[in-house]
Amino acid sequence: MKSVATINVDRPRMGFGEWIYLGPILKGLAVTLRHFLRNLLGQRDVATIQYPEEVRQYSERMRGRHILTTKDDGSLRCVACYMCETACPADCITIVAEEDPEATVEWEKLPVKFEIDLLRCVFCGFCVDACPKQALIMSRKHEMVFTTRDEAIVGIDELKQKGPIEDEDLGYRPYY
Amino acid sequence: MRQPDGSSALLTTKLATMLAWARKNSLWPLPFGTACCAIEFMSTVSSHYDLARFGAEVVRFSPRQSDMMIVAGTITDKMAPVVKRIYDQMAEPKYVVSMGACACTGGFYRAYHVVQGVDEFIPVDVYVPGCPPTPEALIEGVLKLQELIQRGETQYDRLNA
Amino acid sequence: MTVSTPSTLPNPLAKFLPGHEELVIITAADGFTEITADRSRVIEVLRALRDRPEFDCNLLLDICGVDYPEHEQRFEVVYHLTSLDKGHRVRVRVPVNEDDPRVPTAYGLWKAADWFEREAWDLMGIRFDGHPNLRRLLTHEAFQGHALRKDYDPEKRWVLTEDETFVPDWVNEPDDDEAQFETQVINIGPSHPATHGTLRIVARLDGEVITRAECEIGYLHRCFEKMSETHGWSEVIPYTDRLNYCSSMINGVGYALGVEQMLGIEAPPRAQVVRVILSEFSRIMDHAVCLGATLVDVGALTNFWYFFQPREEIYTLLESCAGGRLTVSYARIGGLAADVPDDFEEQVRYLLGRIPKFIDDVDKLVTTNRIFRGRTEGVGALSAEEALAWGWTGPCLRASGVPYDLRRARPYLGYENYEFDVPIASTGDCYARYLVRLEEMRQSLRIIEQAIGNLPDGPVITDNHHAALPPKPKVYSEMEALIWHFKLIYEGIKVPTGASYTATEGANGELGYYLVSDGTGKPYRVKVRPPCFAIFQAYPHMLEGHLMSDAVAILSSLNIIAGELDR
Repeated sequence: MKSVATINVDRPRMGFGEWIYLGPILKGLAVTLRHFLRNLLGQRDVATIQYPEEVRQYSERMRGRHILTTKDDGSLRCVACYMCETACPADCITIVAEEDPEATVEWEKLPVKFEIDLLRCVFCGFCVDACPKQALIMSRKHEMVFTTRDEAIVGIDELKQKGPIEDEDLGYRPYY
Repeated sequence: MRQPDGSSALLTTKLATMLAWARKNSLWPLPFGTACCAIEFMSTVSSHYDLARFGAEVVRFSPRQSDMMIVAGTITDKMAPVVKRIYDQMAEPKYVVSMGACACTGGFYRAYHVVQGVDEFIPVDVYVPGCPPTPEALIEGVLKLQELIQRGETQYDRLNA
Repeated sequence: MTVSTPSTLPNPLAKFLPGHEELVIITAADGFTEITADRSRVIEVLRALRDRPEFDCNLLLDICGVDYPEHEQRFEVVYHLTSLDKGHRVRVRVPVNEDDPRVPTAYGLWKAADWFEREAWDLMGIRFDGHPNLRRLLTHEAFQGHALRKDYDPEKRWVLTEDETFVPDWVNEPDDDEAQFETQVINIGPSHPATHGTLRIVARLDGEVITRAECEIGYLHRCFEKMSETHGWSEVIPYTDRLNYCSSMINGVGYALGVEQMLGIEAPPRAQVVRVILSEFSRIMDHAVCLGATLVDVGALTNFWYFFQPREEIYTLLESCAGGRLTVSYARIGGLAADVPDDFEEQVRYLLGRIPKFIDDVDKLVTTNRIFRGRTEGVGALSAEEALAWGWTGPCLRASGVPYDLRRARPYLGYENYEFDVPIASTGDCYARYLVRLEEMRQSLRIIEQAIGNLPDGPVITDNHHAALPPKPKVYSEMEALIWHFKLIYEGIKVPTGASYTATEGANGELGYYLVSDGTGKPYRVKVRPPCFAIFQAYPHMLEGHLMSDAVAILSSLNIIAGELDR
């Protein structure tokens, strides 16, 4: 094998100082006491986040629950091209398309049903990467809890953007 | 706990509420951690998020000593009899939190060895989605379970109504 | 990874093999010497590869089966070997008929063949004559059929009832020494606080001493390899995250490197440096979990919390780059999913200042601690020859004295430009593994410091649109980019026909991917060479004569991650 720069981490045999164990007791207590007193007296560096009163701020790229974006007039940007359904590794998106009555070259079809099974979803973001119309993005909403499996299958009404896009808690999207 | 005319006696209602309050605030978890969700569970009980603040202090791996089984991770067909056995060994009242996509529905493993959701053979109270769910999501799940216990709407209550 | 040897050239080493005139020996596109041999000659060839000084292949990396239903000989058994001293990489391919799928076992040559052959029997149905214990390994006892064959439906499940659970034969055998006390056979796991994940050890105990043990794995067999055959090349990346879930970035990078090697493209320099930085952070995270769990198992709970704090801080960094904390899915074929955020360098430097304090805290508490040394020194020692025979790589091998680190032996992603030392120890026991991992965390910090100082500018994904999606602004405006986008999503990446083995240094050792492509948008076969698979097969043999509590200490020092072990 060609010579590799190594560092030998072998330790010498236990000496008397180690065997007597007084030294490590004091050193160990010093370390733990230091952490304890810091947390008790200073409250500076306490690691615990007091959830749910205090919330950790996640980054802008957090992959949370999906949002179906809308155009200015309130209709969905989604053209039911099935890219997201194809790209999804978990096959959790179900789309049924229909022709848009006001079809133009750019917005030809509409989804009549767009469902995501949130309990199958692995939140990988491939659907957002695949969408050519920026119709599907992700928010930072990650605290979701359900009591039945059917509750978790969300459709257009739950996914649709509610109000202006700036008000939504935006997460993973094509560009920032 | 109900009178013949359909109402509940004052004392027994208060007792039921008190019992529910006591149970919900001392949920001892049995982390049935198999995969990546187990690491997020470890993060939840670590100093950053600290599930112990909600009463889930004593993390016991013994079914006899715990109330709440958190199924964290993929359950395979090989593991299924083990989960069932451990669930049966738990003392009542017992609750199940299904954490993560794999435990809830099998996730993206539509495969020959993966159980498509642990509710195929045990009753689940709370489903927490995510892959893995963030610690906050798991804490929300435990809080939701506490709410269900207070209202008397868990699977255990339904089976023993 | 630099690949310069063209395929199908006659190999200069060929003349050293006996009977080489009748074998087909070429240099494959991924740099391997590839020998195609008939099954009657395979043991002779493997023995020559191990014993002849020109080859000196002392490490058996992988044995797997591949199913080609249209070929005349349906199956192919593929052996991957390497020589640590000479640096060769050799692949031996043995075509096997469907009617009589038998091959002689390689267990007599390398003990590492043990579980790899069992897996090939379980998932492919190829029998290995002479194997001491050819039973199903990953799937359960009631499973019928061989799952990775092309005619097996990916969703066909079999139900296992409790009475069908596997019990080894020797459990019911009477113990030899009737005069002494009765021995007892117990199950350690699969639901046990000290088994990290789902492992089962059936052990015969004489008091506290383990006299015989056998392991059962497969409790987390999530069919990664079958799933990668039903999904496109880039859709496999979320699955790779869940292999070694403590350090998920490294798996994705390894897979992306393998596919890039087959496509003949390279990620841009900026992507390579970011991959190095995040892989080293993932390595630190993995060692933190391993050491934290080891210390919990021997009773030192405080250090677990001390180690999880830096993990949380690294999660913040990963989440700001990729969007996910644990399962990042950040690597893409051709580079990375998106560029790093603007405060990347600031965050990295902050972490470089914080993490050493936690490592030092644990060091002060534990390293010279008499109780810890008593629990771990001399326990679970394995010599270098034994470790190599079992196929060990990674920190466990380095603790036995062999300085084999893929980042130095076969550099990739620019590791040859970084200065770092490879920690080794000589005793090979649990204490040595602890020391090696602790020092590796410090060396990873050194690498990150050098890398962040030299972060080049530029794109983070290749502009070769046969492999990578075009950037979104172009997809919204240009027709050509939109067409590339549609083709890549609907048809997948068209990887040229061929096979390649790419390995990276994972946190546990050599993580290899053997990828076979048939030219379509879906992989034909993805075989993962998990480092802890080879390590764990030695564990039952290491246990004999040890106490129960030692069994727990040894298990946690080996860092067995079930996601990687069972796939």
